[in-house]
Amino acid sequence: MLRINPQTVKKLRRFRDIKRGYYSFLILATILVLSLIGELLINNRALVVSYEGELYFPTYTRFHPGTDFGLDYSYETNYRDLQRKFKAEDTGNWVILPLVPYSAYENHSPAGIFKPDAPNLDLKHYLGTDTTSRDILARLFYGTRIALFFSLAFMAAVYVIGITLGCMMGYFGGIFDLLFQRVIEVWSNIPFLYMVIIVFSVIPSTFSIPTRVGILLAVLVLFSWTGMTYYMRTETYKEKARDYIASARIIGASNTRIIFRHVLPNVLSTLVTFMPFTVVSAITAITALDFLGFGLPPPTPSLGELLKQGTANLRTAPWIVTSAFGTLVILLTLVTFIGEAIRESFDPKKFTVYK
Amino acid sequence: MTKYFGSLSFLAGLLFLTACGGSKDDAIEEVRDNTAQVEAYYAAHPDFFSFKTLADLPVDLQWETGNHLPEIGSDEARKGGTQYGSLQDFPRTLRIIGPDSNGSFRPFILDYTTLQLAHRHPDEFDYYPGTAESWAVDRDTKTVYVKLNPQARWSDGKPVTADDFVFMFYFYRSEDIVAPWYNNWYGTQYTNITKYDEHTFSISIPEAKPDMASRVLELRGVPQHFFKAMGPDFVEYYQWKFVPTTGPYVIHEDDIKKGRSIALTRLDDWWAKDKKYWKNRYNPDRIQMNVIRETPKVFEAFKRGDIDSFGLNIAEYWYEKLPDHDPDVKAGYIHKSVFYNQKPRPTYGLWINTARPLLDNRDIRVGIQFATNWDLVIEKFFRGDYTRMDTSSDGYGEFSHPTLKARSFDIERALSAFARAGFTERGPDGILVNDHGQKLAFTLSTGYEALKDVLTILKEEAAKAGLEFRLEVLDGTAGWKKVQEKKHDIHFSAFNVSLEMYPRFWETYHSDNAYDDAFLPDGSVNPDRKLKTQTNNLEALAIYEMDQMIEAYRASDSKEEMIDLAHRMTQLHHDHASFVPGFYQPFYRVGHWRWFRFPEFFNHKHSGSAGQYFVHWIDTDMKSETRQAMKDRKTFERQINVYDQFK
Repeated sequence: MLRINPQTVKKLRRFRDIKRGYYSFLILATILVLSLIGELLINNRALVVSYEGELYFPTYTRFHPGTDFGLDYSYETNYRDLQRKFKAEDTGNWVILPLVPYSAYENHSPAGIFKPDAPNLDLKHYLGTDTTSRDILARLFYGTRIALFFSLAFMAAVYVIGITLGCMMGYFGGIFDLLFQRVIEVWSNIPFLYMVIIVFSVIPSTFSIPTRVGILLAVLVLFSWTGMTYYMRTETYKEKARDYIASARIIGASNTRIIFRHVLPNVLSTLVTFMPFTVVSAITAITALDFLGFGLPPPTPSLGELLKQGTANLRTAPWIVTSAFGTLVILLTLVTFIGEAIRESFDPKKFTVYK
Repeated sequence: MTKYFGSLSFLAGLLFLTACGGSKDDAIEEVRDNTAQVEAYYAAHPDFFSFKTLADLPVDLQWETGNHLPEIGSDEARKGGTQYGSLQDFPRTLRIIGPDSNGSFRPFILDYTTLQLAHRHPDEFDYYPGTAESWAVDRDTKTVYVKLNPQARWSDGKPVTADDFVFMFYFYRSEDIVAPWYNNWYGTQYTNITKYDEHTFSISIPEAKPDMASRVLELRGVPQHFFKAMGPDFVEYYQWKFVPTTGPYVIHEDDIKKGRSIALTRLDDWWAKDKKYWKNRYNPDRIQMNVIRETPKVFEAFKRGDIDSFGLNIAEYWYEKLPDHDPDVKAGYIHKSVFYNQKPRPTYGLWINTARPLLDNRDIRVGIQFATNWDLVIEKFFRGDYTRMDTSSDGYGEFSHPTLKARSFDIERALSAFARAGFTERGPDGILVNDHGQKLAFTLSTGYEALKDVLTILKEEAAKAGLEFRLEVLDGTAGWKKVQEKKHDIHFSAFNVSLEMYPRFWETYHSDNAYDDAFLPDGSVNPDRKLKTQTNNLEALAIYEMDQMIEAYRASDSKEEMIDLAHRMTQLHHDHASFVPGFYQPFYRVGHWRWFRFPEFFNHKHSGSAGQYFVHWIDTDMKSETRQAMKDRKTFERQINVYDQFK
């Protein structure tokens, strides 16, 4: 839809030149890609099982009951035990496990008691375990994945609504603009946190976890789209008054065409600058909500829940809070660096007077 | 947060806030006087309310005073000081009856701090006097005669009289209080009250139960002078008003900081302060409680010395957060105590709402029983300190079922039970599905934030048997509200039970508490029945046969028959599989600063918690000594005490 014009190419090149932001972007992109194939890295399902001459790839398939591999139970196979068993039997069967052979949900207590255990390389609990002996690295990883994709979805939704309404307000003006400004003023004065708490207290918990995450996303979006509309509105107003829009109109271009082909590309820089900060605010929001207990339902892995556990066990299990806090700091720093770099590269003035 | 139903039967007194009156309120109170209405009610029920003279009192009665029992608490106890505690939630009301009154704050304004006519001795089980001076039981006429202690006073100075007990029946039978349990109990479990003079009355009950005295002696009067203003707006009108109490503690209006803190103040001239069973108790001058919502924060406050004591029942706290080698413990500043007690145990377990789809199927419920791995929770989470509960009426001696065992975790049996209900296939995630594609998943909710890890363990284990629990961890008040409105699928909770001779069944298992008109007269299910809320029948259990047995049990005056019925009802309840018995703890553990002192024997046999009988005291000298010692890095002997005299 949008052809990359030389201007944009220049901006992108400039972005690449800002090393801090560029490398942050690369790291974050790697994390995102890795998290997409997270099940292959951190999972209690084996990557490959060779049993009786046949190969199994259980990671993404339906679950394999223990009976599939000659065990005597009908629930999900414990592949770590299976690996040990195959090794002991030495009959040519083998199992390859992921790097971290634990899921984010299972309680694994080597000592037989569910309690936080310090990081242990031999057991492959690289960041230790939480209060019910779940692997922290696994929970952090999947928690981060949920937070990242949640915030990306959040950003997309907020932008779609914000851009649409903002453009319309700026472009059509008049009564429409007036009306929506008032609506937004009223709407943005509803305290967002209370609304989340209220909405969540009436949602029946019978909904499955993905549904509840979806509802949480919807609620967050519902109360966050307003900020974007203002920037879009002013930008559109500004562009609308320019000669090229007038010319397009004289030629007979439709409103849709003008908005999408002429106005939008020209206000893009504003949008792009805000993106990373929207992501940051979404990550912070969901972490805060989880911390308060109004976010993702347990036992969904989440940064906020880990932080909460960490603060509750500051004395006895400091590794919980350090892991969660460290992850959050790294994540937010990366996104902020990217944001700074984008802002700078999209800034029309290459050198400000201060430089 | 534990809820109380065992001792629901009485109201003693919200403290009247002398300061809260003001001329405006007084004006309203003057206008609102229901005396005429109350008297008309007495007159309309002449069989129930009788007024006689002392000459009519039978002469051959065996009066008991209960004065032969040992004292309670320790002579060493000293009065004074402020006890600092915490509350998880601010109380939703200061009423002790009606909506929201049955919360965790109630013990402080009712159960633990006010006087019944007489109380069970915490070591001996016999009665010692409270507001009564003496009493006599006449089994033939199923009547208990009571003489009130003429010294007994409400905290506003008015004497406690027989009228307060006559009025009690009007009060509890009134629809205004919005408390169906009380309406039922006081409407059906008593047949007559007779006033002989200001301090003498008798109450009759329908059956000469083995423990019939308790029905009467455990009553608390209701101050008639205070409730003159009651009417249809009772719930709102008395929401934050405090009724005069017969106990030692009052709440002043300035001490109620809504949402933040509340404090109890000891009455200097409490009428019972020198009485044998009361003189060594209720020692702190003031009990200050601040709202701290999260357990870890409460613990931090305790470690700082902002709070005097902290319950260490959870293994994590006993072993890790306050280990024996903790510096404060090692230095003897904080003492750790374990006390093995004997009492009916709170019923921790999963309460299954049988009114829900799928859960109304017995096979599913049996499957849930087998799919719930309490043994693992006890072994790995509670570190073997606790014991599996077998029925919801454990701990009542011969009234408890002698042989019944809770179903242990058994995947095969769970799977076969689920298969009988049509759940034969496992979905891609290992959770069972039926032919309609319906997943075997239920919400498992709780109001116990501190025990949420228990649920995550149960969830993981249940998944092995193809059952999914969707967890919902609520704060205490919201969790309780949810079950009271019967909106739960499966709820993890417990009822606290008071010291009684035999278990109660009506509250939790009678269909009256599950549905409005659960059955048609011929015993078949009423198709139009509606779920009843605000009752303790959390399982929505309605079995015609059970109703019959409960009614027979309530009507029975033979101990043998009651034991037999109790066993049969327990068996039926077990077969119905709507309650998954959890665990009980045969002890309680606390950590307390050394100035928060307990008697040498620590506590009494039937005590349910360290604070229940208020035998502790604050040693203010020791407090300043300890503070100074902490500054000077002076240490004391480490104190980790196990009191197993009642193990």
